[in-house]
Amino acid sequence: MSFWFWHGLKKGVRSTHYPRKFESAAGVSPGRPVATEFDSATEAVLAAANCPVDAIVARGSAAEVKLERCIYCQHCHYGNPHLLEWNSDYEWTMAALGPGKYQPLPGAYHRSLHVMVVDAGDCGACLHEVKQLNNPLYNMHRLGIFLTATPRFADVLLVVGPVSENMRVPLLKTYEAMPTPKRILAVGACAINGGVFGRAFMSAGGAASVLPVDLLVPGDPPPPLAILHALLAVTGRKNPVAQMASLEGNS
Amino acid sequence: MIDAWIGGALALFFILCACGLVLSAATRGVYSLRAFVVFSAACSILMMFSSAVALASGHSFAIDLWRLNGWGRLSIRLDMLSAIFLFAAGLVYLPASLFVRNLVEVRFRGRYPTRRYGVLHFALMASVVLILVASDAPLFLISWECMSLLCYFLVNYEQSARMDVRAGYIMLVMSEAGFLAVVVAFLILGRGTPDWSFSSLAGMAEHLSGGAVWGVFLLGFLGFGVKAGLVPVNFWLPRCYTAAPAVFVPVLAGVTLNLGFYGILRLDAQLMSNHSLGTGLFALITGSITALVGILYATTENDLKKMLAHSSIENAGIIVAAVGASLVFHASGYAVAAAIALTAALYHMVNHSVYKTLLFQGVGEVEAATRTREMDRLGGLARLLPGLSVVFLVGCLSISAIPPFNGFVSEWLTLQSLLRSAVLLSSAVKILFALCGACLALTAALAVTCFVKVYAMSFLGIRRGDWRKVPGKAGRTQFPLAYLAVACLLLGILPTYVIPVLNRAVEPLAGASAAASLVPPFFTATPENQQLPPAFVNDFHNLGAQTGRHVLPGRGLVVMVRGSEKNPVVFAMSTSYSFVALAIFLFVTWFIATRSSRQRSVTRHELWAGGIPRLLPEMTYTATGFSNPVRVVFQAIFRPNIVEDSRETVAVHFRTAILRRRDETHLVDRLLLHPVGEAVGWLARLLAEMHHGRLNAYVTYTLAFLLIILVLFRLS
Amino acid sequence: MPAMGASPLMPFQRIELDGVAAAVQEQFGSGISLERGSRGVVLAIHLKEPNVLADLSKALFWDVGCSFGGLIVEEHADRWRLCYLFLARGSGWVEVVLEVPATVQAVPSISAGVHAADWFEREAEDLFGLRFEGHPRLGDFILHDQIWPEGVAPHRKPQRKSVNVHQMQFRRRPNPDWRPLLVVQDPGSFAMPVGPVYEGGIGESLHFMLETVGEDVLRAVPRLFYKFRAVEKIAEGQGVSDVLLLAERFAATSSFAHSLAFSLAVERICSLEVPKRATNLRVLLAELERLRHHAGAITGICESTALAVAASQAAIIEEELLRASCKFAGHRYLFGLNTPGGLRRDFVSRDFETLIGAVDRAIEDLRELEDRLHFTSSFLDRLEDVGVVDPSKARDLNLVGPVGRASGRGHDLRRECPYGGYDSYTFETPREAEGDGYARLRVLFQEAYASAGLIHQSIERMEPGPVVALCESFIPGAALGWAEAPIGAALHWIRLDESGIVERYRAITPSFNNWLGFHAAVEDFAFQDFPIILATFGLSATECDR
Repeated sequence: MSFWFWHGLKKGVRSTHYPRKFESAAGVSPGRPVATEFDSATEAVLAAANCPVDAIVARGSAAEVKLERCIYCQHCHYGNPHLLEWNSDYEWTMAALGPGKYQPLPGAYHRSLHVMVVDAGDCGACLHEVKQLNNPLYNMHRLGIFLTATPRFADVLLVVGPVSENMRVPLLKTYEAMPTPKRILAVGACAINGGVFGRAFMSAGGAASVLPVDLLVPGDPPPPLAILHALLAVTGRKNPVAQMASLEGNS
Repeated sequence: MIDAWIGGALALFFILCACGLVLSAATRGVYSLRAFVVFSAACSILMMFSSAVALASGHSFAIDLWRLNGWGRLSIRLDMLSAIFLFAAGLVYLPASLFVRNLVEVRFRGRYPTRRYGVLHFALMASVVLILVASDAPLFLISWECMSLLCYFLVNYEQSARMDVRAGYIMLVMSEAGFLAVVVAFLILGRGTPDWSFSSLAGMAEHLSGGAVWGVFLLGFLGFGVKAGLVPVNFWLPRCYTAAPAVFVPVLAGVTLNLGFYGILRLDAQLMSNHSLGTGLFALITGSITALVGILYATTENDLKKMLAHSSIENAGIIVAAVGASLVFHASGYAVAAAIALTAALYHMVNHSVYKTLLFQGVGEVEAATRTREMDRLGGLARLLPGLSVVFLVGCLSISAIPPFNGFVSEWLTLQSLLRSAVLLSSAVKILFALCGACLALTAALAVTCFVKVYAMSFLGIRRGDWRKVPGKAGRTQFPLAYLAVACLLLGILPTYVIPVLNRAVEPLAGASAAASLVPPFFTATPENQQLPPAFVNDFHNLGAQTGRHVLPGRGLVVMVRGSEKNPVVFAMSTSYSFVALAIFLFVTWFIATRSSRQRSVTRHELWAGGIPRLLPEMTYTATGFSNPVRVVFQAIFRPNIVEDSRETVAVHFRTAILRRRDETHLVDRLLLHPVGEAVGWLARLLAEMHHGRLNAYVTYTLAFLLIILVLFRLS
Repeated sequence: MPAMGASPLMPFQRIELDGVAAAVQEQFGSGISLERGSRGVVLAIHLKEPNVLADLSKALFWDVGCSFGGLIVEEHADRWRLCYLFLARGSGWVEVVLEVPATVQAVPSISAGVHAADWFEREAEDLFGLRFEGHPRLGDFILHDQIWPEGVAPHRKPQRKSVNVHQMQFRRRPNPDWRPLLVVQDPGSFAMPVGPVYEGGIGESLHFMLETVGEDVLRAVPRLFYKFRAVEKIAEGQGVSDVLLLAERFAATSSFAHSLAFSLAVERICSLEVPKRATNLRVLLAELERLRHHAGAITGICESTALAVAASQAAIIEEELLRASCKFAGHRYLFGLNTPGGLRRDFVSRDFETLIGAVDRAIEDLRELEDRLHFTSSFLDRLEDVGVVDPSKARDLNLVGPVGRASGRGHDLRRECPYGGYDSYTFETPREAEGDGYARLRVLFQEAYASAGLIHQSIERMEPGPVVALCESFIPGAALGWAEAPIGAALHWIRLDESGIVERYRAITPSFNNWLGFHAAVEDFAFQDFPIILATFGLSATECDR
C-alpha cells in the first residue's frame, strides 16, 4: 500500500492558511447579502418584500439585512429588479445574546477544543459542511479542533437542524452529559430559528428554544470557513461580528 | 513440649467435634445453630493452631493408636505436608462455619434444618482431619471412605430436585470407583509388607518393578484425581457442585478438593520416590489439559456456580501440572527445580482454597439475595450489594492472577518452573514442557476473560432479570468474606514469608530447599549471601530490593527464579513492593482528585447512552455475548449443535422470530462418558439377548462350552 | 423473479401500457375502471371495491412486472383517496386509486404481496391513523412508541401545523413499558443500540438495533424518523414558491433533484412549457449535483474502510466540486435555482468554461482514484461480499438508485420514464450483478463518469433563449413530478387549489425506499463491517425522514 503514501505526498499541502491569511479561493463561500442603499424608500420596501423570510428590513431608503434569518434563497441576488449587494466574506459568526455578550472559553482550550456535533433534524447541508472541515483543504486539526463522538470529552456542542421533536430528548441528553465549561453553537438558519421549517408542528424552531445557545452561525448552510470562524470565536481566537442584534423576532 | 501442644490441640479438636456433633443434634432451632457455629469455628481454629505450631517449629507430631488385627497399628502423624493441608482446611472451615449462619438467617430464616446438617458437618470435619493425619493405609482408607459417604449425604442435603439427587449419586459412584482404584494401588504397593504404615510402604516402593510403578501411579493418580477433578474423571464435579447446598459448596471446593491433591502427593510423590520421567510427564500433560478444558467451559458457562465449578477444575489442572513438572525434575535429578515446582503447586493449592471459598460464598449470597445464578439475568448487583461487590472483586482479581493478589504469585511460580525446563536434556521433553506452558498461559489469559465476564455481567451494568431483591438482612455480617479477602491479599503481598513455610513440606519431598533459591536473603548483608555472587546482589540492592531491611523481619521481599549457569536469566518479582507502590499511587490520585475537584459542582443526569430516551436491559451486553468470541474460536472443542429456525407472519419479509438453540455436550461426556455408556448398553443388550434364546440355542451354548473345556484340558 | 441460473442482468424491456391495461382488465374487469391518465400519470386504475386491491397490486408488481413507486394518502372532507403508484417501465406511471368514505378506518394492506409497500403503509398508519388490515407490523414507526402516545394522527386535517407538539398535552417522558421488537430469540441474545447520536458526531441522527449473541450481528433494524420534521404537513396551506423552498431544503445533498421534481409537478399542473435552454441547464445542474454527491459517497466508503489517503483525496474532489458549484451557480448546494417554469437565473458561456474545467479535473482525479482503489487489496477485501443484496431481493424490496443498480436492477427514471429532456441525451446506466459493496462502489464511479458526459452534452447543445416561462395562473388539480435523484427515484406529488395554495404535498424519496430494503444487506455479518455496509448504501436519513 506504499503507493497511497507516495500518492498523498505527491499531492502536496492543500490546506488553507485561513486564520493567518484570508482564504480567497473562488467558491469557498456563497457570500452574503449586505445592507444596500436604494434610490428611494419604495425600492427598499420592494426589496424587503422580495424576501420570503423577512430577513431584509427596509429602513428609509436603505435595506438592512438580518443575516441570522437568511435562508439563501437568492431572491435578492438575481431574478428581480431590486437586488441587494452581496459580498463574499465568511466571517459572520454572531453572539446569540447580542454584541459583546459572549464570554470565550479560557486559554487552556485554545489549541485543544473538542466539538460534539448533534444533528437535530438537519437537511444534510450544514452537517456536510461541518464534515468538510475535516478534509485536507480545511483540516481543522491543525488548529487543535477535534470532533469527538462522546459528550464526555466535548467542550462545544455544535447543533445543526431545527430540533425535530424526536431529537429533542437526545439533544438535551447530550447537552446534559457534557462537562462544564461548555459552549453551544447553532449552525445554520434552521438551528438559529427553524429556517424554512420555522416553529412548526414537529420542529422546535431552532436550538435556542431548547438550549442556551452562545454563538450563531448564519447561513443555509454556512460554508466551512464560517463554521471554522465560529469555532475559533469559541475560544476567543477570533471575535464574533458585532453586527445584527438578537433573536427578538424569534421569541 | 511442642508435641504436647500439638497433641493437645488435636485431642481437643476431636473432643470439640464430638461435642458439636452431639449438641447440634440435641438442641433445636436457634440454639442448634449457635452450637454449630461456635463449635465449628473453634474446631477450625484448632486445626489451624495445631498445624501452625507444627509448621512454625518444623517438628512432626506422631502417635500410635490401637492395633487392628492383621493390619498392623493405626497411627497418626502430623508431618509438614499434612500440616500445610490441615492449615488450609482450617483456613477455609472457619469462614465456612460462620457463613452457614449468614446464609441460614438470610435464606431460610430459621427454617433450615441445621440439626442433621450439624451432625454430618462435624463428622466430615473429623474424617477430613483423620485423612490428613493418618500415617497408615487402613486409617487413611477408612477415613477416606467416611469422607466420601458424608460428602454424598451433604451434597444431597437439600434434595430439592431430582437432578440434585442424581448429581450426588454420580459423585458417590465416581468416589467409590476412585476409592477402589486407590485400594488396589495400596495393595500392589504393599504386597508382602509387614505393616501398613506409610513409612514401611515407602520402603516397599523401592522394590517395585517398572510396570508396577506405573500401575500404582496411575491407579493412585486417577483414583485421587476423581476428588481433585482431573480430566477425564471429573464429569461429576460441575453437576455435583451445582446441586450442592450453598453452605456446603465452599467446603467441597476448599477442603475436599485438596484431599485429592493430598492423596496424589502422599502416594505418588512421597511413598513412591522412584519415578520414571514418564509418570511426571503424564501428570503434567493431564494437568495442562484439565486446566484448559476447565477454563474453556468456565468461560462459556453462564450459571455462576457451575462456572466456579469448572474454574475449580482449571485450578486443579494448574496444581497437578506443577506437581507433574516437579516429578519430572525430580526424576531428572534437578532437585531445586523440583522443589520450586512443588512449592508452586502447594502455594496454588492454598490460594485456590481461599479464593474459591470466597467466590462460592459470594455466589451463595448472590443467590440468596436474588434467587438466581444466571449471569444473563443478573447485572447491577454492585448497587444492590456494595459490600459483597468489593470482596467478590478481590476474589475475581485473585483468581485471574492479577497482582498484588495471591493468584498471581502462585501462577507466576508455576509458569516460571515450567520455563526452567531449559535445563532438561531431552528435547522431546522440552517441547512437551513448552506446549504445556503455552497451554497454561492460554488458561491464565482465558481466566481473566472469564472473571471479567463474571464480575462485569453480574455486578456492573443494569439489572437484566425480573428478579427482586429478597428482603432481609443480606450479608448481616461480611466477616467471613472480608476475612477471606484479606487472606487473599496477605498471601499475595507476603510470598517471601509464605514460601519458607511451604518449603518445610517441600524440602523432604524434593530433597532440596526452594526457599534458598526463591527467596534470597536480600535483607542480610552481602557476605552472608553465600549462594549469590556479590555483584548480582549489589545490582538488586541498587534496584531497592533491600528496602525495609531494618524494619521487617525475614529474608527479603523479592521472589526470584534464577536460571542455571548455561542459561543465566533471572526472573524476579515483588508483589510486596508493587503493592506499596500501587497503594501510594492510588492514594496520591485520590488525594489530587479530591483536592482539585473541591470547587467543582457535580450534577447528575440520566445516562447518555447515545441519546436514546432510556437504556433498557435488552440493550446491554449479556454474558453469552461477552464469551461468544471464545465459543467461536474454540468451536472445534465445543462442537456445538446450533439449530436455527425462522418464523414469519404473512410473508418472509415479516419475520417475527429467529429462534436459535445451541446444544453442547461436554468434551469429557462426549469422548468418554457417552461411548462408555453406549458400550455398556450394547453389552447388556447382548447379554439380554442370550437370556431370551430358544432352548436349542442354550443346548448349543452348553455343547460348545463343553467342547472348549475338553479341548483346553486336552491341550494342557 | 429471475429464474435460477438466468443472468440477473436482464436486458431493458419496455412494458407496454396496453399490455398492462389488458392484463388487469382480464383479471379484475368488473372491479375496476380504467382511465387514460394525465399530468404525469399515464394510466389510472380506479377501484370500485377495496377488496381487489391486494390482488391487483400483486398482479401489477409480480405478473406485469411494474415496480412500486409509493403510496399517496389524501384526506378529503368526505373521503380518503389512496393512490398507489406503479411504474410501467418505458411507458410511465400507473396509479391505482382507491377511494373510501371518510368514516372508514381500515383499508386492505398490500404489503403481503408487495413488500416494498410495507413502510408506506406504516407511515400512513402513523400519520393518518388509517389501519391497514393484514399488515402485521403497524405502529412504532415515525412516532416512536417510546415517547409518543397512541392515537396521535398528526397529518389529519384538524391537526394545526403551527402548533408545536411540545405545547400539547402529550406524555413527554419515556414510556417505561416500551420494549424493542427483537426478532432474534436466543438465550443470551441482545440488541446493541447504535445512535441516534453517534459516529464521531458527524453521522446523521438515526438509530440501529444490532441483534446479536456476541461476535456476529444476526440482524440490524434501523429506527429512523428521528429527524422527522413533517415537511408534508408544513407545506399544506402554503404557496407554491414557499413549498419550493421546503422541497429544496429538506434533503440538501440532492436538493436540485427534489426541487426539479417539484417544479416538474407544478409545471404539469399549470401546463407550463419550459424553455429549451432551461431544460438543458437543468440537466447540467442535476448531473453536476449527481457527480458531487457520488464523490461524497465515494469519500464515505473510503472513510469507512479507514483508507485515509484515498478518503482525503476523494474529499478534495468533492470540495472542489462544491466550490465549482458555488462559483457557477452562487450556492454550494445549488439552492435557489429551480422555479416552476425553468430556472431563476441564466449563465454566460464563461461560466460554462470554468465549470467544465473543474468537472474534467474532478473526473481525471476520480479515474486516478479508481485505478488505485482497484489495486488496493486490503480495501477490496473489506468491500467484496459485504452487505450482499441479491437481485431477486432487490426486486422484491424495490431497491432504487445506485444500490438497486448494483444488484442488477435497471431502475433509472432518466431512462425508464424520461423527464426534463433526458430522452434526447445519450448516456449509460451502469449495472452490476453481484450486489455487494464493491459493486455499489463501481456503480458510483461509472455514474459519476456518465454524469460528466451528460454535462458535456448539455453544454454542447446549449442555445440562447429565455430560461424561464412565467406561470400566469394556477389551475386546481394534482400532478406528479419525478426525477432521478443521486440516490434514486424521487417523486413529488402536489394538489393545488385555484389560488395556487398547496392542499397536499407528498414527497416520496429514494432513501425511504432503500432504507426499507437495507435490512436485506445486514443479516449475519461481522460487526466491523457495519459502517462499510452503511457507507456503500450511502443513504440519507434526512431524505427518508422529511
